[in-house]
Amino acid sequence: MVETVVVKNKKEKFADIPVFSEKKEYRPYGVQETGLAFVGHEISEDRSSMNQFLHYDQLYTIRHGWNSKFFIGLLDGKIMGTRCPKCGDSWVPVRTHCWNLNCNLQKTEWMEMPLTAKVHTWTVAGWSGRSSLKRLPIILVYANIGTSKVAMANELHGLDPWDVEFGMPLKIVFKPKEQRIGAVNDFHFEPADSWEPLPMNPEKERIKKLVEPVYEWVKTLK
Amino acid sequence: MSRKVCIIGGATTPFDYGPTGFESIEGGAAECIRETQQDVPEFSLRDLDLMIYSHFSVHFGHQLAPEWIIHDHLGLVGLPHYRVENGGNTGGSALYAAALAIMSGQHNVVGITGWETMDSVSQSQGSEFIAMASDIRYELMVGGIYPIYYAAMANKWMKENKVTEEDVATISVKNKNNAMDNPKAQWYRNEHRYITVDDVMNSRLISYPIKKYDCSLMSRGVAFLLVCSEEYAKKVNPDHYVTVDGMGLSSCTIRAGDRLNNPGWSKRYGPGYPGMTEFAACRCSAEQAYKMAGINDPLKDIDFGEIHDAFSTSEAQIYKALGLADEHTIAKFIRDERTSLQGDIPMNPGGGLLGYGHPVGATGLMSTIECYYQLAGMIPQKHLSRKTEVSDPECGIVNSHAGTGTSISNFILRRH
Repeated sequence: MVETVVVKNKKEKFADIPVFSEKKEYRPYGVQETGLAFVGHEISEDRSSMNQFLHYDQLYTIRHGWNSKFFIGLLDGKIMGTRCPKCGDSWVPVRTHCWNLNCNLQKTEWMEMPLTAKVHTWTVAGWSGRSSLKRLPIILVYANIGTSKVAMANELHGLDPWDVEFGMPLKIVFKPKEQRIGAVNDFHFEPADSWEPLPMNPEKERIKKLVEPVYEWVKTLK
Repeated sequence: MSRKVCIIGGATTPFDYGPTGFESIEGGAAECIRETQQDVPEFSLRDLDLMIYSHFSVHFGHQLAPEWIIHDHLGLVGLPHYRVENGGNTGGSALYAAALAIMSGQHNVVGITGWETMDSVSQSQGSEFIAMASDIRYELMVGGIYPIYYAAMANKWMKENKVTEEDVATISVKNKNNAMDNPKAQWYRNEHRYITVDDVMNSRLISYPIKKYDCSLMSRGVAFLLVCSEEYAKKVNPDHYVTVDGMGLSSCTIRAGDRLNNPGWSKRYGPGYPGMTEFAACRCSAEQAYKMAGINDPLKDIDFGEIHDAFSTSEAQIYKALGLADEHTIAKFIRDERTSLQGDIPMNPGGGLLGYGHPVGATGLMSTIECYYQLAGMIPQKHLSRKTEVSDPECGIVNSHAGTGTSISNFILRRH
C-alpha cells in the first residue's frame, strides 16, 4: 500500500482530492448516450449523391474544480464572486486569479455579492439556439452584479420586451430551490421594485412590431 | 529584415447550403487547387513545402483531424501539415501562420486550405455549435448565441454613435447586391435577388437591432490560397502577384462583458475603451498592420477592403476600429456610402460574409482571395461583369474576425 500513499501525497501538494457524496440526476426524458450510430440514409433520384445520417450523443463531465463555489452558490441561491486581495477588483463571472498583470496572477478570494445589478446593455432576441427556441422572445441583458467590474449575461424577465432600458436597476431572482441545477439559468434578472418603465416611444413601438410575430411563431413550435 | 510574403493565387468552391452534389471536402479542396493551377499554370503541387489547414469546428464535420483526409487525398504524403483554429479568425490566423513560415525563411511555397460544412446540422443546432465558442458555463444556457451577443454590443454602439437601423441596413444591401455579380456567392446561388433597405427592415427579428438580412449566411465551402516567397512569385506568376506588406493579430476577452474596465486595454488605450461596443482587437491589429505597411492615413492610403461583415452592424463597427471614421463622423461616413463601389473606399465588393457566405474556416481565405483578384486585375474573369471591379486598386485591406471580437487580424495587400 506504500505506493498508493505516495501518489496521494503528490496530489495533495496542489489541491485536496474531492470526495463526491451529494449526487443528483435530472436527466430529461429520452436523453441517452448512444455513442456513434448510423441511423439512416437517402439517395438522389439519379443515384449520384448520397446523404447518411449519423447520430452522436455524448455525456460530458464539466469538472468545475476551482470555480465550483460559484456553481454551488447558485444551488444555495447565492451569487458568489471573487476579489483580488491586492488591487481590490472583483468579478462575476469569477476569476480565480487576478486579471491585472501588476498583480501577477494573484489568487483571488471568494465573496458573496448582493442580489442587485444594473443593465449595461441589452437586446431582444427573436431567434436562438435549439435549446432556447421555445423561450423566445428573450430579453438578454449584460449587467454588473454588485461590485463586479465586468458585466454578466442573463435573461431579464417581468416586463414587456420593448420596455427594457440602459442603466435600469435589477434584482436577481432564483428559481425555487428544488428546480435549481447549479447552472446560470438557476437565476434571472427582474426590474428592481422601484423601477417604472418609460412611456411608449418610437423605438419601443419598433421593437413591439418586430417582436409580435415572434410570439405567434413560438406558438407553432411543437 | 525578414523576407517579403507574396500571394500568387487562390480559389474557392461555390459557397452554398444544403444539397449541391459537390459536398466532399477533399474533392472541394482538389477543385480549388485545379482552378488555381488554371490561373497559374507554372504552379505544381510538387512545389509546396508546407500545407496549413484552416478549419473551425469538428462539431460540424463529425470527424476529428479532417485535414488528414484532405491532405492524403491531395497526394501530399510526406509534406508537413498542421491545422490552425481560431474561431471566425481561423482563415486570417492561417494566413498569419503562412506568412510567418515564409518570413522566417523556413518555407518558400505554402498552401492554405480552409473549409467548413455548416449544413451537416439544422440551422438552430448550428447556431448552438458556434455558440459553444462562447463561454458555455456562463453564456450558452441563457439563450446566448452569437447574433444575440453581437446585437447587445451593437445596440449600445449604435446609440453612442448615432447610427440607425436604416444606416446599417444599407451595408447589408450593398454586400448582398455586390454578391449578385459573383457566381460563387451563396446569395447569388440561393436567394438570388437585389434587395432594398426596406427588405432588411422588414425581415424577421433575430435579436434587436439585428434582423435576418443583417446576418451573414451559414455555409458549406472550401477555399485554397497560395502564399510564397517573392523569388517563387517572380518565377511562376511574375505579372499577377501581390505582397503582404502589413499584418497584425490581436486578442480580446471571450465574454464581451469582461471588456469593461479591463486593465490590459485601459493601459493601452485609456479608461473606458473598448467597453462592450468597440472592437479593440481590430484597432490594435490594424495599428500593427498599418505601421508595418507604412500606412499613415488608412482612408487615403487604402483603396478598398474585404472585411468581416458577419453582421451589417459589425461592418459598421469595423469601419471605426480601422480608423476610417470616429464617433462624430461614422454615421455620415455610412450615409455618404463611402464604402459602396462608387465610394472612395469600397468594402466587400466580392459580397462579403453577408453575400458570399461564411463557411468559417474558409471565410478569411475567401476575403483574401477576393482582395487578391482585385489587385491582380482578375475580377473580369472571376465575377460576372466589371460592375464589382474596384477602379485601378493598388492597396487593399483584409480583415478576419472571431468570437465577439475575441481574435482579429488585419492584412495590407499591395499590387506588385
